[in-house]
Amino acid sequence: MEKPIAEGRRRFIKSAIGTASALALAKIAPAWAYPMGRSYGEVIKADNPVDLHIRRENLNIGGRIGRPITINGNMPGPLIRLKEGQRARLNVTNALDEDTSIHWHGIILPENMDGVPGVSFPGIKPGETFHYEYDVQQSGTYWYHSHSGLQEQLGHLGPLVIDPGDGDIGSDREHVIILSDWTFEDPYEVFRNLTVAEGYYNYQQRTLGDTLADIRSQGLAKTWEERSMWNRMRMSARDLLDVTGSTYTYLMNGRDNATNWTALYKPGEKIRLRIINGSAMSFFDFRIPGLEMTVVSADGQPVKPVTVDEFRIGVAETYDVIVTPKGDRPYTLFAESLDRSGYVRGTLSTELGQEAIVPELRSVPERGMAAMGMSHEMSGMDMESSGRDKSGMKGHHGMHDSYDENMNRKPQQPSAPDLGIEHAPGGHGPGAAMIARNPVSRLNEPGVGLEGVSHRVLVYGDLVGAHPWPDEREPERDIELHLTGNMERYMWSFDGVKFTEVDGPVQFHHGERLRLIMVNDTMMDHPIHLHGMWMELENGQYPRPRKHTISLKPSEVVSLQISADAPGSWAFHCHLLYHMKAGMFRVVNVS
Amino acid sequence: MRTLKIVMSLSLAGMSVPLFAGHAEDHWPEPIKSYRTGQVLFDRLEVTRTDNDEDLIVWDMLAWYGGDRNRIYFKSEGENRSDDGEPAELESAELLASRLIAPFWEIQGGLGTRGSIASGAERENYLVFSLFGMAPYRFEMDNSLTVNEDGDIAVNIEAEYDIRLSQLSYLQPRLEMGAALTDAEEYDRPSGFNNVRMGLRYRYELSRELAPYIGVYWSRALGDKADRVRDQGGDESEIGVVVGVRMWF
Repeated sequence: MEKPIAEGRRRFIKSAIGTASALALAKIAPAWAYPMGRSYGEVIKADNPVDLHIRRENLNIGGRIGRPITINGNMPGPLIRLKEGQRARLNVTNALDEDTSIHWHGIILPENMDGVPGVSFPGIKPGETFHYEYDVQQSGTYWYHSHSGLQEQLGHLGPLVIDPGDGDIGSDREHVIILSDWTFEDPYEVFRNLTVAEGYYNYQQRTLGDTLADIRSQGLAKTWEERSMWNRMRMSARDLLDVTGSTYTYLMNGRDNATNWTALYKPGEKIRLRIINGSAMSFFDFRIPGLEMTVVSADGQPVKPVTVDEFRIGVAETYDVIVTPKGDRPYTLFAESLDRSGYVRGTLSTELGQEAIVPELRSVPERGMAAMGMSHEMSGMDMESSGRDKSGMKGHHGMHDSYDENMNRKPQQPSAPDLGIEHAPGGHGPGAAMIARNPVSRLNEPGVGLEGVSHRVLVYGDLVGAHPWPDEREPERDIELHLTGNMERYMWSFDGVKFTEVDGPVQFHHGERLRLIMVNDTMMDHPIHLHGMWMELENGQYPRPRKHTISLKPSEVVSLQISADAPGSWAFHCHLLYHMKAGMFRVVNVS
Repeated sequence: MRTLKIVMSLSLAGMSVPLFAGHAEDHWPEPIKSYRTGQVLFDRLEVTRTDNDEDLIVWDMLAWYGGDRNRIYFKSEGENRSDDGEPAELESAELLASRLIAPFWEIQGGLGTRGSIASGAERENYLVFSLFGMAPYRFEMDNSLTVNEDGDIAVNIEAEYDIRLSQLSYLQPRLEMGAALTDAEEYDRPSGFNNVRMGLRYRYELSRELAPYIGVYWSRALGDKADRVRDQGGDESEIGVVVGVRMWF
């Protein structure tokens, strides 16, 4: 026990000498996340080759010594800043005692630079240096992370920002915000707990008290109908996130709530916030109470400005928003986990040491009939619905009928194309505990827990590409994949078959334009990531928004247009780390 | 012993053979590796006081190892009456190969033994088949059919249900029934329903892994078995209180 403390202290002294900034006194947030904004921050500008050193070391994480994987001594790693049109040269040295890798998430590059061990290269052995080199053909907000084992959970990740060729970022100042989830448990222990004990981290389950409260408020018949539906299926309406705030410390730029990461602004400035969800397993709902946000970019790609008060960010997604603070007051940057089991906050203010009111966590949401793939006409019940009071006994039902509310809110919203979905005869085998009986497009729904909120919440249906993309051909062919799982056993897969049971890659023909249709046959939200190629989301808008990671709600069907223009083998997987580990992973081969 | 080896190798053969789904060159690692894990679970490890002022130590445990479709199980139940000067009584000790056949159900087959744990004791060896898993409405079930060396067939049904009182506490009703399809004179199991046992336990989780509990049970011999117990001067029904712990690692 003595050693980590001593090392922590040494680190503390070293960094206190290293920087004059009062904020650097505790070595907690990486240097680039010091709050002065773009003009002052320490970032790695990649004019010259960038050297990245990967090691495992003790670090103060929210006031406690953890042992994350660091990149150049930081967790999260340094902000790498590239410029559109340059040739990126990045040398990654592995000082771990196991193989490692870096995947450049959302970057279009040659197959052998993509950084997925076993798919694009053999991985980086201990003591070895791997030289990544590729032409930067895009701009925007991205990130990078390990694709080896469960290293991402240990903090092996960092932000990657690419300046446009003309250098114009469309604001006076910018801040990068990378959200992550840290646990002091061994990630392999977390995975085992999920595998052997369903619901291990869920301390927000329904209790007898909730059922009694439901009977009082909505009657026995309706309560029975609801409960029996869920219990017959052996599923839980409160199965929201697999790993929760019961073990996670949520971090904003490596800082927890107490150490309050602070971003500075000058009154009157237009600020670009580049928000990255670099967590292993956590969806966040992001808002800045008192400040509206104009979304200008999704997954690094520009979209037509849309002004919202809150947005949900799936694991691995990025959003750029423009904010214009009024006056000189502080604002709370608030990221609440989807299941309301925790949050991380930072502050946007004109000077250090200020803070604003931190909102309370909202009540635990519950999944509704829509999650089971039943239309609300069929069941006569609500869609995803209804917060329950944290105190448990007094359920409030003010959020019911939220489906209709949403429909009223955006009556003119175009909808995604109607797709005839067919399930394999006999379902997807024992690896799939559920089949969405009536999967629908849910692109205009904000998602579980956000249906009834009174302010503007971003939905995928709001996203419109800033300009058309080069390939305007109609898709020649459809590929359909189903997201399948069995929570009880922690089995996760595509089409009921996990990666280790699959006998070949998903084949794309080089040069073709295809439509990828995905159906979520599970009760969870999944962020699905395709490497190497963009996915244009068919959300009824034109130009279509372009994504590298697309989140599917339970029982949702989405369709995406893809130009198969990147020859080689590419990973395609759920970006929830433990789902990927369990087998929700495929290789796409383009040839 | 040879049969045991066959069961072991059969079940291992069913475990995943890695198939190549990537593009990797031969010396590259698999991007996602198959994994196996295991668990030892003492569902009940309890001290019982019966209404006949008898003290018992009772266990009901299982251990498994494997992937998500194929596993090997060891299950055991038994009891030791204190002060009777006899060694513990194995209600069952079974080694089974298990395969997931539906999202919530495993089919299991293997070998078992029951009788006195004393060395040299004459035990009953049997083949066992189980349907193990979770029924709709979340009933945890272990239904087994056993056939011994004489061809006697018996059926045992166990069902548990967790009523969640809070995030850490549960009320658990439990039902166990035994029946014989054939007369097994030697083992005191007349044909028909033999016994029923109902229990109710209140459990509190100190952690997910360690949960002490208290509870009560009522058990009764049925049919011809009840007659037999009475003829032997025994009590056909029994009530007891239990204090125990559910734990896994």
